[in-house]
Amino acid sequence: MSGLSTFIMVLEGFLGGVGVTVLVTLASLVLGVALGFGLALLRQFGRLRAIHFLIDAYCEIMRNIPALTHLFILYFGLASIGFRLSAIAAAILGLGLIGGAVTCDLFRSGFAALPNGQREAALAVGFTPFQTIFEILTPQALRIALPSLGNYAVQLLKDTSIVSAIAAPEIMFYARSMVTSSFQTTLIYVTVAGLYLLLGLPLMQAIRFLESRYGRLKA
Amino acid sequence: MSDFIEPYFEYGKEWLPLLVKAMGTTALLSVSAFALSLVFGLLLALCRNAPSRALSHFVTVYVSVVRGVPLLAILFLLYFGLPGIGITFDAFTGAVLGLAFAFAAQVAELFRAGLMAIPKGQREAALAVGFTPFQSFTLIVLPQVVRIIIAPLIVTFVSLLKDSSLASLITVNELVLTGRAMATEYFLPLQIYLAVGLCYFFIAWPFSLLSRRLAPAVG
Repeated sequence: MSGLSTFIMVLEGFLGGVGVTVLVTLASLVLGVALGFGLALLRQFGRLRAIHFLIDAYCEIMRNIPALTHLFILYFGLASIGFRLSAIAAAILGLGLIGGAVTCDLFRSGFAALPNGQREAALAVGFTPFQTIFEILTPQALRIALPSLGNYAVQLLKDTSIVSAIAAPEIMFYARSMVTSSFQTTLIYVTVAGLYLLLGLPLMQAIRFLESRYGRLKA
Repeated sequence: MSDFIEPYFEYGKEWLPLLVKAMGTTALLSVSAFALSLVFGLLLALCRNAPSRALSHFVTVYVSVVRGVPLLAILFLLYFGLPGIGITFDAFTGAVLGLAFAFAAQVAELFRAGLMAIPKGQREAALAVGFTPFQSFTLIVLPQVVRIIIAPLIVTFVSLLKDSSLASLITVNELVLTGRAMATEYFLPLQIYLAVGLCYFFIAWPFSLLSRRLAPAVG
């Protein structure tokens, strides 16, 4: 078998995996950002001490335990007590729940960076507290958080590779099964590395576009 | 609920030594990889500022490639791919090297930022009062750099510690792989993976707290 035809065969083998990688990345990105934003609002503007404590505990637990362990708990652990999730659902849920903790901190530091005068001025000119949060503070905080959210998204794309450990059929999963059947180990893993780099490019472009369009104005 | 707790009392005595031993492996793996990544990272940061164009280009390419490729791909390439061209490691060495190569890129960026924050006059003054270039770097510049970047360095260590869980996928007998073996033996995956998560939390949390303690002093 010539080198080129092996390479083409390897690429074809990856096609299904690319779709699942993109799906898991986007779905857990949406879940993580939505959850993180909600938690950040509750933590930053909520008054209940108990909820503050719960959110802090949630963030610490999520951020100090490896994603792989979270995935095993969700996929193997929950199945043993009767909650059976599909591998892809467990992957999206797991990465999304972790993402919630990560982005909660990013949003919070965005809000924390705003001078108090912004809130006071908005309230003084007659905005309701709700309007103040969503129309005055949120747009500014989002701009500040944007670069770190971008980093998180790029990191997330790479982190989806670990869901192959719970047999979600993404790029790395196909790579591992192809290695077992073809023994073209080096070729396959180099291709994998190249594929992730390629997938990261449009993501980074999108982030750069968002940053140049909405990013924080330079003073 | 008692069904859920009971196994901990029943098997706790058998599980604890296994988990403690695995924690030791995880700690050793993380600390060795982090130490190595500090060395690589510092070298990369220095090469980036080096007068040689080729060297600084190499570092730029290295950092962006390593940042775009999942750690799992790097580990598989090192452990399963390199034997194909005649280079063989044992799993532990492969994991240490893979983690060190991957995190060196992040550490290099931190060192670079730290080096840029030190005014040129520090080095010039050290040279003027008779320090050798080596001394002025190691005794004058580097300690100040480390003070600036110590908090993000600790955060990086915590990520490395968590990512060391991926070494289980190249058969290093650390926490996650020990957990898998235990889960197969006792058929109690939920209880066991939760215990594994707790083990990671015990190691990682103190460092997370420490990084936050040190952070404001820098800002």
